[in-house]
Amino acid sequence: MEKEKNITSMVAAGLLALAATIGAPERAAAADGPALLAANCLSCHSAQGDGISRVEGQRKSPEGWQMTITRMQEQHGAKISAEDKRRLIKYLADTRGLAPAETAGWRYLLEHDNNRVETIDERYRDLCARCHSGARFALQRRSEDEWRLLMHAHIGLNPTLEFHSLARDRQWFQLAVNEVAPALAKDFALDARAWKTWQAAPRVALGGSWRIAGFLPGKGAFEGRMRATAAGADRFELAIEGRYADGAALSGRGVATVYTGYEWRGSVDIDGIALRQVMAADARGERMQGRQHLADSRRMGGELSALREGAAPLVMAVMPAQLRRGETAELTVVGSGLSGAVSLGKGVRVLEVVSRSADRVVVRARAEGRDGLNDVAVGTARGKGLLAVYDRVARVEVEPANAIARVGGPGDAQMEKVGVAYRAVGWAAGRDGKAGTADDLRLGYLPARWSIEAADEEAEKAHDADFVGHIGADGVFVPGDAGPNPARPKSLGNTGRVNVVATVGGAGATVEGRGKLDVAVPDFVHRALD
Amino acid sequence: MKHLKSLNKKAQRLDAAEGKPEAIEEVVAMQTVVGCTATTDPGWEIDAFGGAASLCQPMEADLYGCADSCWWPAQVPDTMSHYPDWGDGKADATKDWRKLDGIFEDKI
Repeated sequence: MEKEKNITSMVAAGLLALAATIGAPERAAAADGPALLAANCLSCHSAQGDGISRVEGQRKSPEGWQMTITRMQEQHGAKISAEDKRRLIKYLADTRGLAPAETAGWRYLLEHDNNRVETIDERYRDLCARCHSGARFALQRRSEDEWRLLMHAHIGLNPTLEFHSLARDRQWFQLAVNEVAPALAKDFALDARAWKTWQAAPRVALGGSWRIAGFLPGKGAFEGRMRATAAGADRFELAIEGRYADGAALSGRGVATVYTGYEWRGSVDIDGIALRQVMAADARGERMQGRQHLADSRRMGGELSALREGAAPLVMAVMPAQLRRGETAELTVVGSGLSGAVSLGKGVRVLEVVSRSADRVVVRARAEGRDGLNDVAVGTARGKGLLAVYDRVARVEVEPANAIARVGGPGDAQMEKVGVAYRAVGWAAGRDGKAGTADDLRLGYLPARWSIEAADEEAEKAHDADFVGHIGADGVFVPGDAGPNPARPKSLGNTGRVNVVATVGGAGATVEGRGKLDVAVPDFVHRALD
Repeated sequence: MKHLKSLNKKAQRLDAAEGKPEAIEEVVAMQTVVGCTATTDPGWEIDAFGGAASLCQPMEADLYGCADSCWWPAQVPDTMSHYPDWGDGKADATKDWRKLDGIFEDKI
């Protein structure tokens, strides 16, 4: 059973260094890295350059190095203390990590946002992504020798893979070592300009005050302020205050570590909910973007973004993010240092300022004019394309479009249920008036009513929708109990395939969207990266 | 057929099901190559056709056929190389499935 310790010892956030400081904290922290490697690894590895054998031919994310060290412990009996493991991961990710550009397109795996269909080069898909995600290897860089050794390790540890389809019916091993390893060494090269450039770039400390916004399943959209106080090299103590879209307050504390100069990993407790933050900072340290998820159930989460607060005012978001033409509604503009007149863009009249502070301005507004994404400004601060103005919801997309839930429980069963947090995205048809074309206008997340239905004839016949679980009004799908179910033919478990249906709008003007959901058996192996 | 005696359990069930199409279908389904064999290659979650019909059902019935032969090491702890003790004390997964725990990487 997965358990996450809550944050137990927190130090109250003190005065904050509001200005970013230019420095190289991870380089200072790295001073004892070679000694750590020597103490923990040299009983098996040999010294090589600044480091040790094998390690010199690889670069990875923090989680990638974590998996490597875990394997050394599990498979080779390496005795490494929890503290040394943390320090080794930090040192290795800082000195043999990935540049921001090298993680682009693959960050969903770091964020554990896995409910998606990957697009992977056919060679790698057939060889590697049959079993695990494609992002797992795409978030590594190795020399050709190291890619080849990875193939050898796979066949050594999982020898029956040669019996799989796409292994037994072709020369799997020869293909792997002779063709795919060189291709990986080229596509995911150890020596890369992006990494050299990033290593040479000045580091921006990520302490300070951040305006944050995001979404938590079952709770909704939120906005707030996160103060990060330096507590060691690349280590921060966090204090979070904010509110959900319905006005309920939120408050939390936590800690964060920054790896490789930009990889933010936070562990926070917000009103008793243990959460993890995974974000990437931009090169200037002004903005962070990523995801926050439940510590105990990493599929359950939502986007998280942070904008650094400074002397200049900021407009970060408007909630809700859409306004229908002809309608009058209350909107909250969220930002920092907000003062001055509120503008919601062309065609939108601000009828009244209901309340205002430096952090948020609540207005009543009415939209006319044309469909489009409007800039939102308060005084001199401006946020681009934050408010969608529209006439009609032409189509609805369900996020995630493809998902896997896992049966779990009940009671004292070790494996817990793995649910899916659904949201409905509205789209207007755009200028051509046709839904589903390139000029469709994304309206953002809309309230929806949720239901499930059998995915196809086969699922209908097996009454899958009656067994697999239920979806709540908040869009959270909770799967059924694990174990054989005598009520089903052949005691099939509560697995099955359904469509998740979002219905947006009311009274004669509803639009439906559908997502595919496989309610599957438990996944018993949870790596740092799946 | 009256001079032939069904020898195994499946044949006996087929005899008993004679004339009842639904019951026959149930027995025939048992004869289909279902689950983790080297010829149909289901995934852990879905089969080779994107459905669930060719999976082991229920999976607990043949779980150790997956674990012992390291069939889906990314989803099922393999008892061949990585986790030899995973199934200890849970010999009959159809009854002991509540005790089956996952492998969870420690948090950093």
